[in-house]
Amino acid sequence: MSQFFVSILIILSGGFLSILLAPHLKSAKIIAVFLLCAGCVWGLIDAVTKLFQSGTYVGSFPYLNVFSLDFQIDGVSAFFLLTIFAISLVASFYSYHYMDHEKNAVKTGINYFFFSILISAMALVVTASNIISFMLSWEIMSLSSFFLVIYNHHSAENRRAGYLYFIFSHVGAMFIFAAFGIIYTYTGNFGFGPMDAIPETAKILIFIFSFIGFGSKAGVFPFHVWLPYAHPAAPSHISAVMSGVMIKTGIYGIIRMYMLLNFHTPVFGNILLVAGAVSGVLGVLYALGQHDLKQLLAYHSVENIGIILIGLGLGMIGISSENPVMAVLGFTGGFLHILNHCIFKSLLFMGAGMVLHQTGTSSIDALGGLLKRMKITGVTFIIGSLAISGLPLFNGFVGEFFIYVGGFKGIALEKSALFMSMLGIISLAVIGGLALACFTKVVGVVFQGEPRSKAGENIKEQGATMLISMSILALACLLIGLFPDLIIQLPIKAVSALGLKFAPAAFDPILQITGNISLAAMIFLLLFILVAGIRFFLYKGKTITASGTWGCGFTQPTVKMQYTGSSYASFLLDFFRPVAPLEETHVKIAGRFPIKTYYHSHVNDIAQIYMNRVIVTPVLFFFDKLRWIQHGDIHLYIGYILLAIILLLFFI
Amino acid sequence: MIKSFILWLLAILLAPFFSAIILKVKAFFGGKKGPPLLINYYTLIKLFKKGSVYSTSTTFMFKLGPIVSLCSAVSVLMFLPIAGVPPIFSFNGDVIFVLYILGLGRFFTIAAAMDTASPFEGMGAAREAYFPIICEAATFMILIFFYRLTNELNLSAYFTGQNTMGLWHSAGAHLVFIVFAFFIILLTENSRVPADDPATHLELTMIHEVMVLDHSGPDLGLIELGSFCKLFFYSTIVSRLILPFNSDIAILNFGLYIMGLVIVYGAIGVVESIVARFRMDKVPQFVLTSFALAFFATILTLEFIK
Repeated sequence: MSQFFVSILIILSGGFLSILLAPHLKSAKIIAVFLLCAGCVWGLIDAVTKLFQSGTYVGSFPYLNVFSLDFQIDGVSAFFLLTIFAISLVASFYSYHYMDHEKNAVKTGINYFFFSILISAMALVVTASNIISFMLSWEIMSLSSFFLVIYNHHSAENRRAGYLYFIFSHVGAMFIFAAFGIIYTYTGNFGFGPMDAIPETAKILIFIFSFIGFGSKAGVFPFHVWLPYAHPAAPSHISAVMSGVMIKTGIYGIIRMYMLLNFHTPVFGNILLVAGAVSGVLGVLYALGQHDLKQLLAYHSVENIGIILIGLGLGMIGISSENPVMAVLGFTGGFLHILNHCIFKSLLFMGAGMVLHQTGTSSIDALGGLLKRMKITGVTFIIGSLAISGLPLFNGFVGEFFIYVGGFKGIALEKSALFMSMLGIISLAVIGGLALACFTKVVGVVFQGEPRSKAGENIKEQGATMLISMSILALACLLIGLFPDLIIQLPIKAVSALGLKFAPAAFDPILQITGNISLAAMIFLLLFILVAGIRFFLYKGKTITASGTWGCGFTQPTVKMQYTGSSYASFLLDFFRPVAPLEETHVKIAGRFPIKTYYHSHVNDIAQIYMNRVIVTPVLFFFDKLRWIQHGDIHLYIGYILLAIILLLFFI
Repeated sequence: MIKSFILWLLAILLAPFFSAIILKVKAFFGGKKGPPLLINYYTLIKLFKKGSVYSTSTTFMFKLGPIVSLCSAVSVLMFLPIAGVPPIFSFNGDVIFVLYILGLGRFFTIAAAMDTASPFEGMGAAREAYFPIICEAATFMILIFFYRLTNELNLSAYFTGQNTMGLWHSAGAHLVFIVFAFFIILLTENSRVPADDPATHLELTMIHEVMVLDHSGPDLGLIELGSFCKLFFYSTIVSRLILPFNSDIAILNFGLYIMGLVIVYGAIGVVESIVARFRMDKVPQFVLTSFALAFFATILTLEFIK
């Protein structure tokens, strides 16, 4: 355990030193990045060894006999620690050049200060083993990320995003508190001990409360409303960490709750699967309608959380219907997708960060043709896009493949399990298709074609650490996609640590599948080389001419005539209009000499609309009526306190 | 293994020939003589002999497009039992891999189209990205149906040897639904009438053809060959489904298989001759029909398994 705390200390010292040394901008940054990276490497090595030793490690800090802060690392914690440290490592490295444009030394220092706290808090959340240490780490994590979201606090939009995030994370925390409160009333202590004493109905209530609480952090529909605002507001390396790993702590919470309750009802699996299917399909759909690159990526987090939940849900259904092979496939798929998603999502956010850094805009329809000017960013971004679309040869496919196979195992079952598996498979298929549409839009509009505005012209890619970070992640996407055997032991170890008493034979299909995926990928690569060779042969000694794009007879094309992201998506969104209402404003063109016109479109998020209508408006109305309580007279306030104490005396 | 490999090579070589049957059928309905049956080979050879013109807007993605789309079409044939003979490769879950490899081909075709900065190609790309989503859902629904019957997740369990006949024995009536559902997917995925018209004259109304406007020479040849192979893949499945008979005499099996293929390609030709293409916004409804058919077939299996 001490190894783990040493890594936390190194990371924290990096953050504190960057504040202390803030006047020396350059050296402060070097020291901060170095210590953050060193701490992450240390923690990463420790997490991997602990994952493979598959034991349980305990550390406890009693405080005045009042309470103690307990921490524990088991297989599941070690798996999450691994993702947290790995992505934080790459993101810290990336931040070195990304923070170049920040000339304000104090702001840079503050950024690294909160970044180090965020990394440590995430690590502590997944290791906390009693209610107090968990909630403490959870709140520190929420607050530190809140300060990172409002990093650019000069823009009113960012402040609003931060405020929204603040409210959501605290309402979510209230639900988690409520769940823990119920646990406490039955067990009578703060520990995450055995919970056999809790009646089954209470267990279901606990699970639902914690699902809402953790779901709002993970970005499960409809609690995802903060996500598309908060992620784009933060600096890109923070977006990468928040989207890649921080929201996974919500998933961790759900898994931990499931382990603690140790109650195998189909209800849990069904809740997760339905929530996953809805988040997955709607997340990618809203992503398709976005005009801002980072906002689009943020919605994709909602989608991928959906896929992870489908996997875990199938796993839980497998447990409750006593089908160990299905359970193992579902859980392994879910865990593997957690790992894969943090790799490709942080890669994509880093690519978007590079685009934003160099062009100054992240508006999709203002960009174009970046692939010619930003080779490494373009190629790595395309690799990330292929991975997130779940296409073979890349890592996203592997996790989805397990989930599919697990889902098909459920097809052999009866009744609700059958229909749930069907829902899982069909929504995965739809999500895959929509993700492909969405990322062909991003790649096609942002990186290909011609620049649509001045922003995309005359730019180049800069920053060695940014390019190296993206290349490493892209390489990881490709390697895991081609040789899933390399990392398959990580999710397997985590799944065996779930304490569900699987027979080792249940893991056999997984090793077969990874071998088959490698084989099939190799066949495809061989064919690719063969066809590329034939193409090379066919072009030998031929005349190759360069010319303009064929305009179907039109000879004066301009870049404005290109298809935009909005037009690309509009046809598809039209089909889903009931769940994704499109809001359009434009001046109607009339007459022979039309006046200058404009077009603006916005896809409305139904969660946001209904949450506004059903929760926010009534709550505001109610509190408005209570305004008279707050009148500013200090004497009466003291009276309130007195009154409260007297009232409390009746109850205690 | 060697037999499977030879069949695979034959499939690639014969795919252009069968596509010409569609042209012949259409010519017959139009009262014309039509092009020769080897027309597609002449076109391919002509294209392979030429050089290329590349747009200045394009990047390496434009050149990758044809290679990957051909690769995806050719590699999925490796997992498909041709004429009931076990495929070259087969593993648990290969169907999913096959569907996603086709998706990979689509990604690169769309990326190559978007590379040209042409509004027409963008329009085609948007449609190409849209319709297959519903097709994929329908295909997975069919897979769920097959899985209910066989408990297997690979193509060879459905289409090798006696297996297809087994499907008919256990759920014959439902399989009629599936054949129609799959035929609709075939038409949509391969940009045939009524989802798309490969022979239309106006770029605005095209889907697949407009996406390859800027490709020329060998690149265009590779794309064409890829689309022949893809159509051949889908047709083989339908052919096997409608003529599931299997005998011990290899040549008879092969004959039956060819007959099935001729029927399928003929049917595509007939559909193209007598049906007008749908308005763009009607196509999703057409594809959803296939999803509904597969869904009902699956629901019906619930009853009979009990």
